[in-house]
Amino acid sequence: MKAVAALALLTLAACIVACTDAPKPGITLWHSYSGAERTALETSAAHWNTDHPDLPLMLVAMPHDGFADKVTSAIPGGNGPDLFIYAHDRVGAWAEAGVLEPIEFYVDDARADRFSADAIDRLAYHGSLWGLPLTQKALVLYYRTDLVATAPATTDDLVKLAPKMKERDGFAFAYSNVDLYGHAPWLHAFGGTVMDDTGTLAIASPEAANAMAFARDLVATGVVPANADNPLEASLFNAGRVAAVMSGPWFATDIRKDVPWAVATLPIVSPTGRPAAPYFSTEGVLMSARARDKDAAFAVMDALTSDAAAVTRAQIARQVVPNVHAWDDAKVAADPFLRVFRAQIAQSVPMPKTPVMRMVWTPYADALGEVISGRAEPGAKLNALQDAIQKLK
Amino acid sequence: MTTADLLRRQLRDFAAAAVVAVLFASCAFVAVRNSDLAEHQLDLASRSVDQLIAGGEALPTVTGALVAPATPSVAHPYLRHRQLRTPSGWRDLQPSEKWMYDAVTRFDREGAFTELVPDGTGRAIAVRAAEETTAIAITSPTTPAPYPLLVMIGVLGLGLALTAAGSLLGGRGANLGALAGIAALAVPTALWHAWIATTAIALVAAGVTLAQHARLTDRLSDGLVRHRTALGFLMPAMLAMFVLVAAPFLIGIVLGFYDHSHNTWTFVGLSNFGEILSGGGKQLDDPLNFWFILGVTVLWTLANVLLHVTIGVALALVLSRTWLRGKGIFRMLLILPWAIPNYITALMWHGMFQGEYGAVNSILHHAGLSGVSWFSSWATAFSANVITNTWLGFPFMMVVALGALESIPKELYEAASVDGASAWQRFRHITLPHLRPALGPAVALGSIWTFNMFNVIFLVSGGAPGGSTNILVTDAFRWAFERGERYGMAAAEATIIFLILLLWTVFGNRIVKSKDADA
Repeated sequence: MKAVAALALLTLAACIVACTDAPKPGITLWHSYSGAERTALETSAAHWNTDHPDLPLMLVAMPHDGFADKVTSAIPGGNGPDLFIYAHDRVGAWAEAGVLEPIEFYVDDARADRFSADAIDRLAYHGSLWGLPLTQKALVLYYRTDLVATAPATTDDLVKLAPKMKERDGFAFAYSNVDLYGHAPWLHAFGGTVMDDTGTLAIASPEAANAMAFARDLVATGVVPANADNPLEASLFNAGRVAAVMSGPWFATDIRKDVPWAVATLPIVSPTGRPAAPYFSTEGVLMSARARDKDAAFAVMDALTSDAAAVTRAQIARQVVPNVHAWDDAKVAADPFLRVFRAQIAQSVPMPKTPVMRMVWTPYADALGEVISGRAEPGAKLNALQDAIQKLK
Repeated sequence: MTTADLLRRQLRDFAAAAVVAVLFASCAFVAVRNSDLAEHQLDLASRSVDQLIAGGEALPTVTGALVAPATPSVAHPYLRHRQLRTPSGWRDLQPSEKWMYDAVTRFDREGAFTELVPDGTGRAIAVRAAEETTAIAITSPTTPAPYPLLVMIGVLGLGLALTAAGSLLGGRGANLGALAGIAALAVPTALWHAWIATTAIALVAAGVTLAQHARLTDRLSDGLVRHRTALGFLMPAMLAMFVLVAAPFLIGIVLGFYDHSHNTWTFVGLSNFGEILSGGGKQLDDPLNFWFILGVTVLWTLANVLLHVTIGVALALVLSRTWLRGKGIFRMLLILPWAIPNYITALMWHGMFQGEYGAVNSILHHAGLSGVSWFSSWATAFSANVITNTWLGFPFMMVVALGALESIPKELYEAASVDGASAWQRFRHITLPHLRPALGPAVALGSIWTFNMFNVIFLVSGGAPGGSTNILVTDAFRWAFERGERYGMAAAEATIIFLILLLWTVFGNRIVKSKDADA
């Protein structure tokens, strides 16, 4: 009995010692990458660790769901990472909440000019810089080359595919239509917006209503399936029941090996004559306001976003890297996949980064659902949406 | 009672009270010490900045500097270059001087500020405008004053002496001695001006004296001694319950009185509860109105429990038939939905209800019916949720009912048959009354589970359309994570859910019991 008690006490003591042990030197980075993106990041980290054995970089992979919430709650409590990777749309809220560390102190023009301006500018907020860009993501058009010979140039070209695809019990194309991110290409082509240039909410407008009506009619005329999401798009595309899918770089990994496919920039929206313009996001490596050794953490950020690391990521993970000189690499420059994404990003709209935007996503998707299923009129619904979000603010 | 016994009793009570009093005093010390220290540091930083502005030097132990206005980069306006004024002229900022850069950037954005650096080093920083520059000062890291161990030991000794002296006098003196002894522990807190702790310790002193008078302390002590083995065994579980259940629960209730915005918590009293219960100024048929959600939740619970019990009992009746072959296999198959983690089941049902290619619509198509767009109207989305949760919930009721059915004596049925009772009469007068004692608690438990069934709502309909199929728990989740991190509102709503379920457990049980009494 006494031996057991002594053993228990010893274990307890050991636990306490282990818990209060001094933190190990090194930099911790949280990310939600998987597959090739993770491999590419790990390659860069391995390079760092060979060069800096005294300051190891530890990567912690986490599921993307809840990643942002975890960061938001862990960092102010002092339990978070030193660095983490996330898209620029949360930067505003995190900067205001004191989650992020401003890093412009370390960055001079030469360092900033390494990146295209549209990438690094996204990570600036309130007159400070909060991260260095790793990659940019936007929606493009994936199409099956066995079903469409050339890339559809306009939405009318896509609509024309509908009768043929109907015979195959399918649709002309698919996209996540009950989702603001998926709907944004139409919204911007029609001249609508969510925030105006001054950052005030501008959801309700005749242009936005026209875009919603356009999305509704695509479903009503059987051109696209209603309520599509990524898994459904992938299964339809793989089964040859849609000729094209509007999706982001992640979609490439969902396509079966035996399916012949290519990517193209989004088509021109026929009723407007303007190209569909999706949101683009800039993923960056951001520094926690509670990073223990900020100078060292910045050195890691700098190494991860160097031109050499960018070429690694572009080659291994086919990431659209914002480093201007990475595109001098012959293999990167010749990759047709990367070229399409790069061209698409050039004609896309940056995803807003004001904190208010976070209250827009869910209600906007709900509104799209109601309009597309014919239970609400676009104009009235958008007015109600604008009022509701204004109240939440 | 002999003097020795009296002394022992008084010292025992003093020791118990002293533990509580020392706890209060220590908390008060930490609070007072921290606020004193913060005040001192802030004052140092603030005075140093004043001196810098007046053209002097920062106070000793404080680092101060005058920083020039920023020169922004032409290409990237958020990249700025700053210089520092030294006696010998201007110089660039060193790598170790990032804090100066960031502080002045913040000053440019928000204006002057004086505050503690939130990194636990106890440093204070002050930034104010000076002539053509910005004056900035930061104090050195500091460690708080050590715990006044000697003072505490001294006061404890004094209290002990007073208590002992009182018990030697006996009678009233004993009580007065204990009162004075415990109250003596409030002396240091009074000197620190920690009035809450002082009052609390005084109340402990008065409470112990009154308890002694009513012999409560004796009874408590006897009880502890008598049950010490049992209490020892209970202790680990009690500790775990405190850490895992009681503490988060209390924190949750307290959070409901605060508003959270940008990582700062503001005490707002009952305003969160007011906002929720008043429906937030929304129409009653608005899916964001609390009363609408409560209505949906109650309907959701009623529909589910009704279906769970009906289907569960019906299947149990079939499975309990003696003529049924392969009972084991059927039983296993029917329990299967319960054995699969419910979020996996919920995700599968979500896929099956998918509009274009979901299994449910495919079956409808094959049967010659038109497909249903499940998540685009309230009634169908709500039905989809109920169907999923019925699938998940009936096995539990079935198992409970099966157990109860096995225990009904066969003689009752035989006697009823002899008396010419019909099958319905046998069910109504024998089976049902015997099921009730087992089903009552199962229904109470099932209703609480269903009331808070987050997974099914969140994963099947996700609240669609327009949040109208949300129940209270999913709405609370949305307050925390989708409406700008309003943790206070989420906590308040969780507290309201708790109160509703508490009322239901107390009164619902009574209703069930009184029915039993009638039967």
